Amino acid sequence: MTPQLPRLLRLAAFVAVAVVAAPLFSLLWRIPWSELPRLLSTEVVVDALFLSLVTSLVAALLALLIGIPIAFQLSRMTGISASTLRAVATLPMVLPPVVGGAALLFAFGRRGLIGETLDNAAGLVLPYTPAGVVIANAFVATPFVVLTVESGLRALDPRYELAAASLGASPLRSTLRVVLPMIRSSIVAGAFLAWARALGEFGATITFAGNVPGRTQTLPLAVFVAMEADRDAALAMSLVLVFISLIVLVCLRDRWWPAK
Amino acid sequence: MNDQLKLLLEGRIVVERGPFKLDAEVNVKQAEIVALMGPNGAGKTTLLEAILGWLPLADGQVLLDGQTLEVHGENRTVPTHEREIGMVFQDGLLFPHLNVMRNIEFGTGSSSTHVSELLEPLEITNLVDRYPEELSAGQRQRVALARTLATAPKLVLLDEPLGALDVTGRVIARKLIGNVLRSNGAGALVVTHDPADAFALADRILVLEGGRVTQCAPPDQIRTRPATKWVAELVGWNFFEGDGNGSLVELADGVEIATAHRGLDGPVAVTINPTAVALYTQEPTGSPRNSWHCHVESIEFVADVARVSLVGPFAISADVTRAAVAELGIDTGSAVWASLKATEVGIQPLQG
Repeated sequence: MTPQLPRLLRLAAFVAVAVVAAPLFSLLWRIPWSELPRLLSTEVVVDALFLSLVTSLVAALLALLIGIPIAFQLSRMTGISASTLRAVATLPMVLPPVVGGAALLFAFGRRGLIGETLDNAAGLVLPYTPAGVVIANAFVATPFVVLTVESGLRALDPRYELAAASLGASPLRSTLRVVLPMIRSSIVAGAFLAWARALGEFGATITFAGNVPGRTQTLPLAVFVAMEADRDAALAMSLVLVFISLIVLVCLRDRWWPAK
Repeated sequence: MNDQLKLLLEGRIVVERGPFKLDAEVNVKQAEIVALMGPNGAGKTTLLEAILGWLPLADGQVLLDGQTLEVHGENRTVPTHEREIGMVFQDGLLFPHLNVMRNIEFGTGSSSTHVSELLEPLEITNLVDRYPEELSAGQRQRVALARTLATAPKLVLLDEPLGALDVTGRVIARKLIGNVLRSNGAGALVVTHDPADAFALADRILVLEGGRVTQCAPPDQIRTRPATKWVAELVGWNFFEGDGNGSLVELADGVEIATAHRGLDGPVAVTINPTAVALYTQEPTGSPRNSWHCHVESIEFVADVARVSLVGPFAISADVTRAAVAELGIDTGSAVWASLKATEVGIQPLQG
């Protein structure tokens, strides 16, 4: 049996939950439920929803592709070098997204360090395109993959790799057949968190990819614009985002923090 | 008994880990089972991991079947997965996401004929569809052995293969593992804590203490000529260090032991089989030169044998029959005379 909490602590928890839930409740309270079908089927909303879903999913895949190798490298490092690399790799998580977007412009913009070469060599232009939305989303989402996968790798008994090697498995085969399957729950958790973060991305997206309806205007951007013009539409789109986020968090309950 | 067989594993393994230094010669012949014993922290697992190439050598070399796997200071080190050395871990370390069959087939190429031949003798045929978490410790251990043997390694390393098992499981698994290892024909190096395992399985026992080999001999010789205090305690023998002087050995606590040896000089180790220590309630007549007046500190019965621990001029153990204890009428605290023939006293040079 779990020991009972002190009454004062239970009271504090109750008040805290009320404070946290108040904005969410207010949002739900103001939603024009009967108008929902019409509000959610306008062209701007459908375009934004579609763009958000596609770019956030692609961004999550990109985050896995970038984050997993970084996590593997980090899991083999110790001391100051590990802390430094981890800080660099997870910086986008704490950086103001606008700064991240600006940094992306300096890197991948037309006059950017890499962007100019890309443009000259392949005619590839990223800013203010859907691909730019993906880049911005992946940039802020990757740290979630790095952190969850690294913690999964660190929790894995390294002797499993020794066992695989003693059975004749090359390091590559051992990684693919033993390590990756054994940390799959960390990878899934990282992917979900990255996706959820990408779905809600605002600052880096608007800075790097702009706010062109039907092209780079994602759901959060559309909500921001609608707050000025059409409150009801903003509420309806907010509901969609709340709903998706809640589903992700409920699905992740056992993976993001070890629950019983 | 295997002297005519050629060496399979030849190694001098030097590994440094902080203040701990392992420096051990280890040889295993074709089809030989060598038990690796030693106190905790002696470097047994480190030795296995170095043979596998998981830890770099600070000095020395490893050769398997005439092929050089690693020489300190040379670059051509054969990586672990190409060494053809299999390892069975204490807890089996089966891959939890694969069922038993897939675990066993993990290291085999496409040929699975060899695999089916392993299932029967290890009694795991009906477990092939299960997952590791559904197996008992003993079953996991046998699957782990099958998984390793399925790759047909030249040498098998086993780290406490029976450590996780209860007494009954141990006896069964020991027999199965022994049979399979013997029919397999590869060499094996088995780490174990239990002398019963070592004596039942091994052709030779290698004793590692504090990173160094202190004894390497067939089980019979380990049993009758323990070279160190640790080995002596392991096999239940009395072991004393003292100064030799002619045919006498003087122990640190002043006790003199008469031996049948001559010309003793300097530090020596004395080993005494506890069954050679005779007990009397009266001072022995004809006064053998080695007799001491002692008190019984404790009596422990194992099957029909009573291990009588004595304190007096020095501490010594005697093994007598259960009947003899009743006949002598001794109990904890009783006064007895312990006597020992000079010819029963073993003398060995003291290990560094």
